[in-house]
Amino acid sequence: MDGAPVSFLKRVDELSGSSKVRRSWFAFACAVFIIVIVVPSIFVVTKLFTDWGLVDSVINNDGIRDTVLSAVANSFSIALVVTVIDIVVGLPMAWIMVRKDFKGKKWLDTLLDMPLAFPTAVLGISVVMFWGAPEGVELPGLGIVVSPYVMMIFLHILFTYPYMVRSLSAILEQIEPNFETAAMTLGASKWTAFRTITLPLFRAGLATGFILCFARSLSETGGTYIALTMMGVESTFFTGPSFISWLKSDTSVYSADEMMGAQILISVIMIVLALLLLVVVRKAIAGFHIPLKKVWPDLGRKLSRGPLPKAKDVLTIAFLLVVVLLPAFYIFMYLTQPIPDIDYGVLLGSIATSFLVAGVAVAVDIVIGVPMAMYIARHRDGKLGQTLDGLVNVPLIIPTTALGFSLALFWGGFGLSESFALLLVILGHISFTYPLVVRNLIGAIEEVDPAYEEVAMTLGAKPFQAFRKVLFPIVKSAVIAGGILAFTRSLGETGATTAISNTVNTVPIYITKLVQSGDYTEAAMCSIVLIAICFVIMLVLRLVTSRRSGRDA
Amino acid sequence: MARIKLERISMRFGDFYAVRDISLDINNGEYVTILGPSGCGKTTLIKVISGIWRPTEGKVYVDGMDVTDIPMEDRDVGYVFQNIALFPHMSLKENVAYSPRVKDQGDEAMESLSTEYLELVGMLARAGMFPDELSGGEQQKVAIARALASGSKMLMLDEPLSALDARVRVELRYELRRLVKKLGITVLHVTHDQEEAMSVSDRIVLMRYGAIAEVGTPLEIYRRPKSVFAANFIGETNLLECTVSDKSKNGKTKLKLRGGEEIRASKTDFKVGDPVVISVRPEHVYTATDGLEAEVTAVVFMGTYWRVRTTAASRDFVEYNVSSDDEVPSIGDRVHLVFNKKAIVVFERPRGGIEGEIKLE
Ligand SMILES: Nc1ncnc2c1ncn2[C@@H]1O[C@H](COP(=O)(O)OP(=O)(O)OP(=O)(O)O)[C@@H](O)[C@H]1O
Ligand SMILES: [Mg+2]
Repeated sequence: MDGAPVSFLKRVDELSGSSKVRRSWFAFACAVFIIVIVVPSIFVVTKLFTDWGLVDSVINNDGIRDTVLSAVANSFSIALVVTVIDIVVGLPMAWIMVRKDFKGKKWLDTLLDMPLAFPTAVLGISVVMFWGAPEGVELPGLGIVVSPYVMMIFLHILFTYPYMVRSLSAILEQIEPNFETAAMTLGASKWTAFRTITLPLFRAGLATGFILCFARSLSETGGTYIALTMMGVESTFFTGPSFISWLKSDTSVYSADEMMGAQILISVIMIVLALLLLVVVRKAIAGFHIPLKKVWPDLGRKLSRGPLPKAKDVLTIAFLLVVVLLPAFYIFMYLTQPIPDIDYGVLLGSIATSFLVAGVAVAVDIVIGVPMAMYIARHRDGKLGQTLDGLVNVPLIIPTTALGFSLALFWGGFGLSESFALLLVILGHISFTYPLVVRNLIGAIEEVDPAYEEVAMTLGAKPFQAFRKVLFPIVKSAVIAGGILAFTRSLGETGATTAISNTVNTVPIYITKLVQSGDYTEAAMCSIVLIAICFVIMLVLRLVTSRRSGRDA
Repeated sequence: MARIKLERISMRFGDFYAVRDISLDINNGEYVTILGPSGCGKTTLIKVISGIWRPTEGKVYVDGMDVTDIPMEDRDVGYVFQNIALFPHMSLKENVAYSPRVKDQGDEAMESLSTEYLELVGMLARAGMFPDELSGGEQQKVAIARALASGSKMLMLDEPLSALDARVRVELRYELRRLVKKLGITVLHVTHDQEEAMSVSDRIVLMRYGAIAEVGTPLEIYRRPKSVFAANFIGETNLLECTVSDKSKNGKTKLKLRGGEEIRASKTDFKVGDPVVISVRPEHVYTATDGLEAEVTAVVFMGTYWRVRTTAASRDFVEYNVSSDDEVPSIGDRVHLVFNKKAIVVFERPRGGIEGEIKLE
């Protein structure tokens, strides 16, 4: 028994020596990617042709059509506003994180990521409690009455802002600080140096950040729906995904056909627009040149000195605290309340489901993601490599509600429906987490000189052995980082899960149900339990991985 | 006009002094090289002079004006970075025109200045190219053109030639000197390469542990170094431990090597019995029929001459040169060495011994 895994690895080592085996392994990973991830994600588009009748009836019904269109319009305009705010406020933040040294920077760094670890459903509760004074909530909020639209913007900033700051800092870190210093010795003020040197070098990061945030906002379901429910406007104000959730929760308003038609229409519109956006933003940002050659030295100087830069830093930090961190953490205020009765059986059951789904999804992501990432990283110049590189982003861009809906339709066609609900939910979660794992890996593998592996192979290592012994240890931290990202993302997902099934009870779904029935205190306590579990896991992972790498070094 | 005066400059990072108490005057149009072992504070010093860093103590004056608190963009100091730092998203022309552009000097100035300085460094034909299309040497030329186009009368160069291959390096350094002399620019040039320092500078500033070890013209430092460290760091030399054994009335000194052999030097201020170190450069060591006995341990061909390495009877290692046309001894041969009396420099023997003194960190 003891020898079994070793001999299995040996077997794989041997097998990997044959190029046939390697090629079929890659072909397998490719096939899984296409058949299980890409096609089901966009399958719904074919419904436009096969079930045009359903869609047509929705289009001809003024009431429901206008609702659908306004929901989609809301989604896109919220996403755009949020992304622009993220850029404007994220840039100075990224700047602070990369170029400044101060006490407490480590803390700030950790705090910045925290909202990402919260399920968005929790953020939804927390934000509404913080800004508004929803009925039925005991805790005092700021009591500001804002329109649902503005509240959505506040909410979406929470879970997009960290992405933006991360993407921007990653790029900023790669830009030589000497460029700015050089510009300044040539007479440019700080501001001018930034505008003429750093900003233009920034474009790639801007594109990534833009797409990530936009897609995330477009896609978000759980938090949005919960926030709208708490404000009592879930049946009058819609975003694309919240409309689908609402349809599912209240089947009495429309006929089954109308519902199906409306979902198809929303999904298709959102998928098509999102994909278009991906292409357009890439092109636009890559081709974008700051048109202004002219420089105003005096203005630049005024902007670079005196109270303005200080004010900018203070405002940036204030924004992070007041608009991002406080609202996100506000839910912990519930700890000051008497602890309500929680149905621990159901809560633990839903937590188990969530972890099962997330765990399986991440494991599959890694297994089929590694060969894909290796191929893409090493074949960037090839046609196939570029195509795959583009395709990997697709599930990331598509709103998860549309993705889930599409996936359910696809597998439903094969007779896999409610009884396989858990399996379908897992497949759905694989789809939208896969890009997170693969993207991270591609980045890491590209940094590794292929010569390492080649050297190992010239020393007689079989390819799989070389990968195991040489490449994997190097990219391990990227695998872990991607895995954590994917895991938390899956844990927090509401939209795809609801769209796929009514019966699978993950934590966010459970929390949403509690909110729907007005049990805010219970919902909040469940959220706190979930956050606590997430933190413990992340802490343990971080400790384990850092100790390992410490020993390796 | 650019006369630089440093008054007791220190730069501290935490408790660590990267530069300590440096005072220095640099004349208008002077070409000064800063030489010293790695980490001795060369980069720090020119960063302080150009305003990239503010010194923690001391003052910087330019033409008599205190500029310590003037930010770098108003200092008007050209600075060429060790890693070149050409802006990758701009063509060579745009790079060179950057300074006139950010000073809003207008399109004509941008055009004429960039043309002029690209021409000056011989890169005008490539004006439309981007930095990543150039070799390291070409990039370096453009970086220099960019710094010059700012019109500043001071230029800081941080090991600008170190990344280049030997030939290009030698060519570029003379070209550089010619250029800045023509423009009347005051230059501080940091380098690791003592040959480079010697061949281009009006004056060499030798640094060590964040302080100035010695300042002088290349000839002064080479011929009459004031410390064992300088003698060893600039040029090549033989260092031998001796003791003063006798002094004549007019100051002429006799020394005893460790093996008891006697050597004559010129006038010194040492007293009989003082422990000293003498420095004598290989070109001032000759073979003779009589003198310090030594055994040849290696013979190395250096191109224009042979370098012969020996171990003397006094246990010192002594090297000397033989013209490449002449016969060289073979390994194991016994030779007798004599030193050019006038070229011997005598130093007090450092407490930590010679090794501690010439250590390079
Ligand atoms: N920003 C900084 N913070 C802390 N210490 C620094 C900083 N910059 C330089 N130092 C320290 O100051 C000392 C001098 O550095 P400097 O870069 O001036 O050396 P250098 O003489 O230019 O060396 P090299 O020849 O290797 O370039 C070094 O010990 C370095 O570690
Ligand atoms: Mg240096």
